[in-house]
Amino acid sequence: MSRIIERVRQALGVRAGDGRDKLVFAKSEDFVGCADATATAQERDDWMKTIRAEAQALNLQVHECPDLDACGEAIATLARERDPEWGSLKQIMRWNDPLLHELGLETRLGEEIAVKTVPKADFFGESERQEFRREVIASYIGITTADYLLADTASLVLLGGSGRARSVSLVPSIHIAVVPASRMLASYRQMLSCLDAMVLPSNVSIITGPSKTADIEATLVHGAHGPREMHLFVVAS
Amino acid sequence: MLNQDPLKYRELAAKAVQDKQLHKALGKLRDKFGRNAVNLYNQLSSGHDPRQDAKAVRRKIVDNLDVVLETLAANIQARGGHVYLADTGEDAVEYCLGVARRHQVARVVKGKSMLSEEIHLNDALEAAGIETVETDLGEYIVQLKGEAPSHIIAPAIHYTREQVGELFAEKLGEPYTDDPPTLTAMARKALREKMLTADMGISGGNTACAETGHVTIVSNEGNIRMATTMPRVHVVLLGIEKIAATLEDHDILLRMLTRAAAGQKISTYVSYVGGPRLPEEPDGPEEFHLVLVDNGRSRILADPDFREVLHCVRCGGCLNVCPVYMAIGGHSYGSPYCGPIGAVFTPLTQGINACHHLCQGETLCGACKQVCPVDNDLPRMLSLLRFKLANGDKSWNVRPQSLPTKLVFGAWSVIMRHRRVYDAMSLLAGFCQRLLPRSNGWIRRLPGPLGGWTRGRDFPPLAKKSFAQRWARRDTTRRDA
Repeated sequence: MSRIIERVRQALGVRAGDGRDKLVFAKSEDFVGCADATATAQERDDWMKTIRAEAQALNLQVHECPDLDACGEAIATLARERDPEWGSLKQIMRWNDPLLHELGLETRLGEEIAVKTVPKADFFGESERQEFRREVIASYIGITTADYLLADTASLVLLGGSGRARSVSLVPSIHIAVVPASRMLASYRQMLSCLDAMVLPSNVSIITGPSKTADIEATLVHGAHGPREMHLFVVAS
Repeated sequence: MLNQDPLKYRELAAKAVQDKQLHKALGKLRDKFGRNAVNLYNQLSSGHDPRQDAKAVRRKIVDNLDVVLETLAANIQARGGHVYLADTGEDAVEYCLGVARRHQVARVVKGKSMLSEEIHLNDALEAAGIETVETDLGEYIVQLKGEAPSHIIAPAIHYTREQVGELFAEKLGEPYTDDPPTLTAMARKALREKMLTADMGISGGNTACAETGHVTIVSNEGNIRMATTMPRVHVVLLGIEKIAATLEDHDILLRMLTRAAAGQKISTYVSYVGGPRLPEEPDGPEEFHLVLVDNGRSRILADPDFREVLHCVRCGGCLNVCPVYMAIGGHSYGSPYCGPIGAVFTPLTQGINACHHLCQGETLCGACKQVCPVDNDLPRMLSLLRFKLANGDKSWNVRPQSLPTKLVFGAWSVIMRHRRVYDAMSLLAGFCQRLLPRSNGWIRRLPGPLGGWTRGRDFPPLAKKSFAQRWARRDTTRRDA
């Protein structure tokens, strides 16, 4: 390994430890500062307008709810209306997140549709992982929150971690994300600035609409290998 | 069908220029993406050119590549990932095979990676008895067909929907259709099975963040997230130059990349992948390997004249505007990197003499420079490669390509620098051209080796009176008036 780094140094005509790292990893004040920028009510209204417009082009369906109760009811209705793409079992997998507990999906859907929660543990053995994998693959809907919602592109930012399995937003045919309006940010840049201020998890996924492809005659088709349908629920309070 | 020989360029290009179907397909790329990219950049900021910001970031990284590489490697390792710096393509392939053997891998699913084409990884995996499945829809089509990709971003752009329909009917046993959504659904079904049962996922990377220890992967289909989330092992292949230092670097680089590649503000998925899953995560790969490949890149780095080509972010934007690529398609180049970027990068990594057609086939029209999100001066580097081919260059092991070319340009140089010689040669040429066959006032055939020019077009004759003669007369008449 060091041999190739040494060769790179020779090619560049530089020496190790000459302080260039300060220049390379320097950040602009503007970048560091934008994490803390707070938005006015007017700005939030404007952002929501942009999100609605962007979402339309992306085939991302946006629902605005006054509270989590209304949101839970809307999701339950959606789950009843949709049919599974693979097989006939109707099962939902959701992140283990306090916000999603409050949707009350388990009671709303009762015996009709099984609602499973990502298990939490300090350690997952082989058999537990396989079990979880089977459950995700068997689910036709995956429900997550998002840590940020980016106004300029209608993108969701999902940080990985305990109870926040990455396959939930990926393997089921329908991805539903529930996000409080307070998690809106202006731009990708502001989001990067927020991430820069924290210790990042092993996986961060930024998702903008359902999966798509244009590989056959440059014709746009939604539903490539990820979810073919995506819903964003923005909760006011 | 698989052309891996850049010396077949002329033969393949001659066939491709007749291929109307190919031109129709490529025209769609040009109209959808090529024409749009520059407009999209301009919307990014008012007053200045965002390409210069992106260029400055790429230059900072490449000029300090040792620091960025070391930091990236250390931070990936701190996250529990393995890092391997591969000297050559063979080393990288050997490493991947080693990982596959250790995990007794029977099936590999791949996310799109041009680097894996560069090092011929698929062939090696298949030879080792490992089923290797491309999961990007375009790559999958090309793989079923037994061909190579013809575009960096849109690998199967050279097929019609009818051809894809026939291919799927034959290989997947599905009923024939030429409806892109139905065809996509067929591939979705077939590949889901493969992705959920593979033991190992191999992906490329669009860049990486050295400071945080993540590889950054951009996709629209979700196949790369599948291939990097569901299998037990994830291996990333990345050119040593394709990395970034900070998250702030990612801001301008990603915005320019997706606009240049596909006219998008952002792609559907941007994933930051740092190491294997943590113990408290129920999914994600158990083992993570980052393979950083040199394969000739540090040689380019050492030459200040060509270092700029390493700024490339592999968006494929220069293909979408290149009149030569539009006429001859990607396969004529005989290299995974085609179009203007391939015409510079391939000779530098595979030998300038062996790939001389690539840099000599481009027109130097400058469209590639104009659309490049990092403002790479590809025309300058193409000219320089041609200069080396004409004169030879020991440092790059270039033999002068042909003595006659060198003599002709030597003579040309003498003529252009000496007024009297120039006048005499003009007179002589004016006289000699009377002997050549004409049609509608144009010269139909030039003699000897110059005949290549007139094989497909006519040549305009020298005017009866030269510009200098007419200028002198114009001056006189004015004085007379």
